[in-house]
Amino acid sequence: MASSLFELRSLILLLPLLAFMGVMVAISVFVRHKQAGKNFVSSYFVGNRELGGFVLAMTTVATYSSVSSFVGGPGMAFQVGFGWVYMAVVQVTAIFLVLGIFGKRVALLARKLNAVTVVDIIRARFKSDTLAAIAAFVIVLFFCGTMTAQFVGGAKLFAAVTGYSYEAGLILFGLTVVIYTSIGGFRAVALTDTCCAIMMMIGIVLLLKYVLQAGGGYENIMTTLEVSNPELFEPFSFGNMPWTIYFTQWLLVGICTIALPQSVVRGISYKNTQGLHQAMLIGTIVVGFMNIGINFTGILAHGVLSGTAADYGGVDNIIPTTIVTAMPVELVGLAIIGPLAASISTISGLLIVASSAIVKDVYLHWSEKNNRTVTPARVKFLSMATTAIIGAAVFVIALTPPSLIWLINMFAFGGLETAFFWTLLLGLFWKRANKLGAMLSMTGGTIVYCATQAAGFKIMGLHQITIGITCSLILFLIGSYLGKRSDDETLKIFFP
Amino acid sequence: MKKNNRASLSGAQKFSLVRREAIYTGLALIGLIIFWLVAGFGTASVDVKIFHLPLWAVLGTVGVWIVAILISALLSQKLFTDMDLEGDDDGK
Repeated sequence: MASSLFELRSLILLLPLLAFMGVMVAISVFVRHKQAGKNFVSSYFVGNRELGGFVLAMTTVATYSSVSSFVGGPGMAFQVGFGWVYMAVVQVTAIFLVLGIFGKRVALLARKLNAVTVVDIIRARFKSDTLAAIAAFVIVLFFCGTMTAQFVGGAKLFAAVTGYSYEAGLILFGLTVVIYTSIGGFRAVALTDTCCAIMMMIGIVLLLKYVLQAGGGYENIMTTLEVSNPELFEPFSFGNMPWTIYFTQWLLVGICTIALPQSVVRGISYKNTQGLHQAMLIGTIVVGFMNIGINFTGILAHGVLSGTAADYGGVDNIIPTTIVTAMPVELVGLAIIGPLAASISTISGLLIVASSAIVKDVYLHWSEKNNRTVTPARVKFLSMATTAIIGAAVFVIALTPPSLIWLINMFAFGGLETAFFWTLLLGLFWKRANKLGAMLSMTGGTIVYCATQAAGFKIMGLHQITIGITCSLILFLIGSYLGKRSDDETLKIFFP
Repeated sequence: MKKNNRASLSGAQKFSLVRREAIYTGLALIGLIIFWLVAGFGTASVDVKIFHLPLWAVLGTVGVWIVAILISALLSQKLFTDMDLEGDDDGK
């Protein structure tokens, strides 16, 4: 009897998830069918530049919002209080900054150069295959780290909430995301991201409703917290939120995110400027709603969980435990779609860019340079196979998760920003920027960043992104003033 | 003045406009950072509560979000210009 009840509960939990994953795969199959006959490389890697405003906003937000935004973040808010929400809200800048600064410039250049990837634009701006190869390598390397973190975070959440094994979760959503990204390419990623973003918002609203209900209402929870946890209402949380965290978060998840290749590539993919303008507004509304909503819910979880974060096995377990405790069993499966959607939308966004870095930026460019003909069928096969292989490789790494997985995630984020921030910003807006500057900045900055991370070296307790980004700038300026100026032909394209 | 009407622009004009829009975005960021500082840390010592939340927590979170939405609306609806992304409008 008990066994059959458990099986029934498990089935109820799994059904919404299975249905959601089925819809994701169906979308990708549909997209592949619709894109048949069009230029494969352009349709597979940037969706033929056909994205409208709403989908552009949702795919940018969904790729940017990872599983840690839905699990680790609100867990920290539970522990630290409103200081964490105040810090997390800096992410409202992410969408209007990347689209406002790079959106149109990248779109214009991509059409001029017939570029499909961010690396295409870097190659054309600095006339350097070596720099392009380094950029592609950096993308694949750091993306693999980030994707592994998403796989592990999602699978752990799945296991904690459903009672199924970690491996079962990994197979269910890990394989699904690899399959639908491989089949459908960028267009499918954008559409599934949109579904994911909508599910994230529904998940937040559902969880908030049941947390308030289980805690006896908003007033009851807040009145209790004011007495029992006064540190939650102080911006520095009685020392738990030093100014250094605020400062580095502005860099890591605010300003420097404009140079993340997975965000910049969205500038190549939209249809027209009206869509871009809509996306800036919609994206800012959605990213703010998600960040404030889920972190505030993390604080209100005190109404459901009476202990400290340590009592529940750490901050990462706060949201899973809250879901299980506060929500009726028939809705738990629906509720965890939100955080899992955050995980798979980030993975799919990174997977397609990593695949384009290998196929388009390295292989196809090499073939073209050596006058080797690559048939459309071969391009199609290689693109889908590469996406599947990268996804499968990360999947295998995630089967035996490294213990410092969240550190790897943040490490990868900072590494990408160090490598691309000045190369893209100065490269696209400063005539004097040249090959030597970009080369020194990307390689030197990234090496310094990795070395300081490895050594645990910090200045004034600040995250190593501050060292990486500063070194990267200094090296860019030195190289640009010492090196040869870009030729007139290039400057005419980039600065007409 | 609403500026997002589609204009006939040369390639050079488009790039010049895009540069100006990027500068507007950068200035908007600086404005938002200043608001974030004043709304949060700047009001942390004020003993006022709204819906059981200290003033700094409301202004520093929901307040910053609303200002960011207003900034995005200002940029995208008023300061940014619609343009054809395919080639020069003047045929160059």
